Amino acid sequence: MNKIRIWKAIGRGVLLESVRRKDLWVIAILGMIIILAASMLGFFGVRGLEVFVKDLAVTVLGIFSTIVAILTSSRLLPDEIRNRTLYPLLARPITRMDLLLGKFFGAVAATWIGFLMLAALTAVALLIFHVQFEWVMIQYMVLKMMGLVVLCAVTLTLSAYMTPQAAATMSFVLAFGSVMFEQGLLMAGNSAGKGMRPIFATVSDILPQYHLFDEGSRAANIGWGSAPIWVVLALGTYMIFYSGAMISMAWSKFRKQAI
Amino acid sequence: MRFIPIIAIIGSAAAGNFVKDFGPTINPPYIPANYDAQETHASTSILGQFRTSISSWLWLRTDLYLHNGVEMRQMTEAERKSGMSTEDAADDGHKKLMNEESVLTTVPSKDRDFRGIFGDIERATSAYKDMHHHTHNDPVAALPLFRLMTWLDPTFVPGWVQGAAIIGRDRSDAAAIKAVEYLKEGERQDPFSVSIVMEIGEIYITRLNNLPKAVTYLEQARSMGKHRDWVSEDAENTALEQTYRWLALCYRNLEQTQMMRQVASEGLKRYPDDIVLAHVLYQPPALMKPQYQKEWAREKISEQKSTAKVDDPLE
Amino acid sequence: MSTAILAEQLHVRYKAKNGKWVEAVQGLTFNVEAGEVVGFLGPNGAGKSSTLKALMGFVEPSGGNCQIFGEPAGSLASRARIGYLPEVALYYPFLTPRETLTLYGELQGLHGKALKTEAETLLEVVGLKDAMNKRNRSLSKGMLQRVGIAQSLLGNPELLILDEVTSGLDPVGRKELRHILKDRQQAGCTLFFSSHELSEVEMLCDRIVLINNGKFVEERQISDLKQELRQFSVRYKGEVSLFDLTDHWQQVGENIYEAVFTSKEQLLVALDRVHDEKAKLLDVVAQEGSLEDYFVEAIARAA
Repeated sequence: MNKIRIWKAIGRGVLLESVRRKDLWVIAILGMIIILAASMLGFFGVRGLEVFVKDLAVTVLGIFSTIVAILTSSRLLPDEIRNRTLYPLLARPITRMDLLLGKFFGAVAATWIGFLMLAALTAVALLIFHVQFEWVMIQYMVLKMMGLVVLCAVTLTLSAYMTPQAAATMSFVLAFGSVMFEQGLLMAGNSAGKGMRPIFATVSDILPQYHLFDEGSRAANIGWGSAPIWVVLALGTYMIFYSGAMISMAWSKFRKQAI
Repeated sequence: MRFIPIIAIIGSAAAGNFVKDFGPTINPPYIPANYDAQETHASTSILGQFRTSISSWLWLRTDLYLHNGVEMRQMTEAERKSGMSTEDAADDGHKKLMNEESVLTTVPSKDRDFRGIFGDIERATSAYKDMHHHTHNDPVAALPLFRLMTWLDPTFVPGWVQGAAIIGRDRSDAAAIKAVEYLKEGERQDPFSVSIVMEIGEIYITRLNNLPKAVTYLEQARSMGKHRDWVSEDAENTALEQTYRWLALCYRNLEQTQMMRQVASEGLKRYPDDIVLAHVLYQPPALMKPQYQKEWAREKISEQKSTAKVDDPLE
Repeated sequence: MSTAILAEQLHVRYKAKNGKWVEAVQGLTFNVEAGEVVGFLGPNGAGKSSTLKALMGFVEPSGGNCQIFGEPAGSLASRARIGYLPEVALYYPFLTPRETLTLYGELQGLHGKALKTEAETLLEVVGLKDAMNKRNRSLSKGMLQRVGIAQSLLGNPELLILDEVTSGLDPVGRKELRHILKDRQQAGCTLFFSSHELSEVEMLCDRIVLINNGKFVEERQISDLKQELRQFSVRYKGEVSLFDLTDHWQQVGENIYEAVFTSKEQLLVALDRVHDEKAKLLDVVAQEGSLEDYFVEAIARAA
């Protein structure tokens, strides 16, 4: 049977549920309020806040898209098992890997739609504020969407091993603490002797590198320009391999799991 | 046994009811008699917390914007001891001005990054420039943010003080007057702040050359500050030390020696290590190297104290 | 006739919440031939659902062999031929019954107009024509069970495995379900289902498989069982002793006696004797035997 059709069907279910649960709408409304509130400052006579508004926009985009990604991905598998919706699904001639991939693609689609909705609102807010929409902003969005793929994969995998609440908490820590962990490892690695450095390097490599996908500081500040194309390609490769490794880990737990 | 927790709770409640002041009170609020306590209501207090948080966040972001998004951090003690120094910047004077002699970019330069390609990617995707190419944005561009900070939280003192510094950056009198007006607005919003009032006095001295006017504001700052007991690193504490210095120097230039001595000795009582105040009070030998002046001043103070000749208004 | 389900020395075990392993199914052996309607009976905790899960591949047997139409249980090939109704399932609350069936249909390999038509037809068959566009979360338990039945029928499966099939259905729903299942049976579908509703089992099944504590107890043809459980009672007036023919002979009134027989032959002998000794025959009643009594008795015997 056509695998893509299977993944599409499962993914569409995830997406429909996400839309109908109104998660995306709540995020969109919150994001819109914050961004428009920032834009409203212009009417109070506070001019020259372009950098601030852009910074706020990328911060809102980053935070809310992370929330959508984690909340959507963390409950997919545990909810299926708890609500027993898994039985009629797995009674069909599909493999558990098909199910995982379908769920994963659905979570990515829901997250991307949420992100693009917020990005559209942001673009409108920036236009109201007469902020130029630069190429680096497009690249920021592309990289962010790639980072969200990694985040969905990590959260889905964690949810295969722990409760959805624990998976969500872990994912939030990993996502928002990514820069902090990396800086801590760097400082510790540099302070440690050369013999110890490979250990820190290995730990750093194992942790998901979300912060690498965040080009927000370049997009918000002035005159940075976009990153070279090799960076996008390298991050794309990282996304594929890291997400693949994560989904494989989820599968190794899920494939024999009694339900 | 099972009643012990209940007894403990009741006991604590009773103790809380009868013991009104438990432990020492630090920094008792100084409230001028004519102050309209608009910020003392509970709801205002909660809202105030929120506004202060936003203003503090804006403050941090502004610092980041001035570095055009390049995040920096202080060196760790280990880094400093290992002889690591900030890469030689092209503009050494600027580096000193921005107090960046012991800072590093949070994204490390290639030579102190063991992450290989991940490090290269991070340097390419984040706002990163090594310290050789480090520049600062014009602070004037950040002025709207200072206005926003003080608009959100009128009691956010750094917003008033730094904002005034930016407004008055143009060396004209008109700019200085605008800066004073901005600070006076701050004073109306936060009449407790020594920093704001001291800054007004400083502008009158350094920019408008109006010492009598400066003395008025500095005396106001001195009067507010001397009732308080801050922890040593408090910005307001530093402002009070500055107040004593400027005030002593003002009286010296106005040739009011008695007042100069009174202020300097009061200041030294509070800040015994302050070389400027020691200078004013004891006039050390002109050729003495600065590193010996502090010790000299300290000795002088103890000497004066032992002979009970110090004119100390606090005692 | 080919074998639809074959379980040989099936073992299923679970790790309980206290960390200990529980043997839910212990060496169960049975088979279901294609075209048969077999009821799978046992008290709560007997291992019925565990067995069905092993047949579906939801749990991996810890021992033994399990096949569906000759394919390993749980394999894609076996699942392609099965329609399954879980004991309890909360179909996606934010989807409608139509969307639910479309989703499962697509996973079954159906698509396009054929899927749309089949989904609508099945929803109509199970009585959800008017509710097919409402969200699942707004449906009652019985209606959700109908959604479950409809999804199990998608793709016209050769084998239907139904866990607690009548759960949540009202009498009308049960009657409709019986019709649906009879139709499927007539179309050649094999039915294997568990139920606590013994009357349903009696009405639908050709055969029953009885288990207890994860072990096989016995299997019986329903027709044989009905025959075996049938009873005849005779009431008459007169001094005639039937004590030698049955254990169930007693006086129920003044000179009035009643005797109960489990076989027709004994009944005929008794009637002859009553007639010969000039007693007055008051009543003869043929009673269908109670499957419930049989069930309780068989389980007690096995325990």
